[in-house]
Amino acid sequence: MILRRAQFELAGRVVGPFLASLDVWKRQLRRRRRAPRESPFGPPLESVRKLKELMTAHYFQGRFADGAVPVAWVTSGFPVEILRPLGFHAVYPENHAAMCGVQRLVPGLSDAVEAMGFSRDLCSYARTDLGSVVTGRTPVGRLPRPDLLACCTNICQTVLYWYRALADHFHVPLVLVDTPYVYGEAKPHHVRYVRDQLEELVRVGERISGRRAEPEALAEVARKAKEGTDLWADCLATGRSRPAPWTGIDGFFHMAPIVALRGTDTCNAYYRLLRDELRDRVRRGIGGIREERHRLLWDNLPIWFAVREVATLLAERGFNFVCTSYTNAWAEAGSRIDPRDLIGSAAFSYTHIILNQDLPNRLGILRRLARDYAVDGAVLHSDRSCKPYSIGQVDLKERLAAELGIRVLLLEADHSDPRAWAQEQGENRLTAFMESFG
Amino acid sequence: MAVAVLPIHYPKEILTALDVLSVELWGPPGAPRGDGAGRIQSYVCSLARNALAFMAAGGADAVDGVLFPHTCDSIQGLATLATDFGGWGKKAFTFLHPKGPARESSRTYLEAELRSLVRDLEPFAGRRLEPARLAAAVALHREIDACRAALLDGRPRLAAGDPELYALLRRGEWLWPEDHLAELREARDRFREGPIRPGIPVLVSGYVPEPPALLEVLERSGAYVAADDYAAVGRRVVRAAAAAPDPWQAVLDRYWAAPPCSTRSADPDERARYLTGLLERSGARGAILHILKFCEPELFDVPALRRAFAARGVPVLVLEGELELELSGQAVTRVEAFVEMLAAGRAA
Repeated sequence: MILRRAQFELAGRVVGPFLASLDVWKRQLRRRRRAPRESPFGPPLESVRKLKELMTAHYFQGRFADGAVPVAWVTSGFPVEILRPLGFHAVYPENHAAMCGVQRLVPGLSDAVEAMGFSRDLCSYARTDLGSVVTGRTPVGRLPRPDLLACCTNICQTVLYWYRALADHFHVPLVLVDTPYVYGEAKPHHVRYVRDQLEELVRVGERISGRRAEPEALAEVARKAKEGTDLWADCLATGRSRPAPWTGIDGFFHMAPIVALRGTDTCNAYYRLLRDELRDRVRRGIGGIREERHRLLWDNLPIWFAVREVATLLAERGFNFVCTSYTNAWAEAGSRIDPRDLIGSAAFSYTHIILNQDLPNRLGILRRLARDYAVDGAVLHSDRSCKPYSIGQVDLKERLAAELGIRVLLLEADHSDPRAWAQEQGENRLTAFMESFG
Repeated sequence: MAVAVLPIHYPKEILTALDVLSVELWGPPGAPRGDGAGRIQSYVCSLARNALAFMAAGGADAVDGVLFPHTCDSIQGLATLATDFGGWGKKAFTFLHPKGPARESSRTYLEAELRSLVRDLEPFAGRRLEPARLAAAVALHREIDACRAALLDGRPRLAAGDPELYALLRRGEWLWPEDHLAELREARDRFREGPIRPGIPVLVSGYVPEPPALLEVLERSGAYVAADDYAAVGRRVVRAAAAAPDPWQAVLDRYWAAPPCSTRSADPDERARYLTGLLERSGARGAILHILKFCEPELFDVPALRRAFAARGVPVLVLEGELELELSGQAVTRVEAFVEMLAAGRAA
């Protein structure tokens, strides 16, 4: 146990950052050897190096987490702030699945679980993650075995079925935080229900970790989570400048710490660095793309396996995604957290995230983003794997176009599975969309 | 007053006690038509797509309100889409039942949610929920369930064809409960028990028995449904609830005593145990998992159910449908081949 803990600490503090630096150095070397290519993007963000270091260290440390510290696998919308003071190392299967998506590993992983009877119509994140678990294949070397599975239905019901399958595989406790969907206003008994479940979570977490959730420690993590959320919101807000200092696509990658490391000093330090760099770029007029002619909003998850291709196709014609509803969600989830009452405020806050609220609320967010970021168009990713995010987009498209006078495209794809993406057709639709701007 | 109710689980006793007729909206089957037809993407389950198109086209205008239970992401989305963005202009109610196993928090919450629903329904119904009426409604639905259970459990000896029996059972989706009970009683007498019927008994689990032609094909092929776990039919028959003297407690007990259902996030192993028990009691020799395409709650349970059946050497046919009006030729062939295989005593 002591040796394992030492390995864990060493991996996180020394070896992980070293390997990440080595990787960055190798990439830079490769890049220098290549002939310079014409790129429609602005100069890359310096913070990327730190981001890679951070996430590599996180995943590398994770390899040694089981046996050293309690490990929880959690959904992206789970109030992880409650687990951190108990010493849990949090693993985000969605974040891991996104990495698999970027590296186009999904078909192979999905095939493994499809052979077990899981349908291809199920969420590709779930298929990816379950596939990774049963095959042991992962781009991060190894995921630590969980002691606890923690699932919150505020992003979808799918996570509950997915985590049940994980619980069946690992034979570990599954904690469910069931968040009633908010039509209009959440009723008091809905929030009370979530609060009761969070209190149940504390008891389970204490039992597994063997530690007490001290009020001061909970307050401290809540304060850090709130600060991290605010810093992330500051980073996103720089996109309001013209030109935007980064692209929405950059935002998809830079959101990893606010998802996976929320409530930690590391996370906040990173976003201070990123915010300062972005503000500096704004001052110097450096854009995320070289020539920003049109500003777009992106709705829904990214198409991870084609994110660069789509962004490049658009950037070459002067189109930049300056805001996305997905990255924005992480700037809002923790903003209502109150360090004086973590459990109560988390119950309210996590019940009110974008995917757990009705369509008028969603339209309001899109409308506000479109206005604040002065976009002249929007792409709504109709995501086969994310029904809660996608239902209603046909109407949202019509309403955004009619109310704001912007051009809106509904683009069907999948966030992770390239087999559900018709590249030629998709690119044709995007090209025609851009042509409509004249 | 009448309300259209989307699948699956809702407190029918409370509606009955308030004198509100529930008319369940399982689609309806067929291709969605009208202005609302394209408003939900084709990769979403046909039930949600059809229901929106049907409501937007005025198909449900005969009722005075609609109730959306918290069944899945699709029905949850449909509830806001139809009521907030057009398709349903009358009163709308939601019943956000808890997910997962019965916990202290979910038991407390369920009661609060039911009381909240009653507060919303009372002005609509124009009457208060009286304990005596609720007690009578619970008793009524208990008897309905007992009749339905008797018909379903006595299937191998019942002198009735599957299409006829299912037509009867499914009339409970829209008849006044008293009328439904009367015909169930009458059927219980009419479908007198006889010798065990010839044919191959099978278990069917799924969402809704649509199209009914499936039952005809089974019968024609020499099989019959000996055990039913359709969400629309057998999965809502409560057999085990104790008769609590307090009617509120009785409603809660009935909710928790219902058979395990994927849409309430029942543990797949518990479901598998329930289904294998059903299989053994009924003598079914094969299982058909009749899945509604894109239905995530049902699809996620398929591997666990297949494993459970395979462990007992029970052949399984997974049949996907999209609420078609007719069974496709391919599906007919698959059902026929499955029954032939069972008849030959071969494993899947």
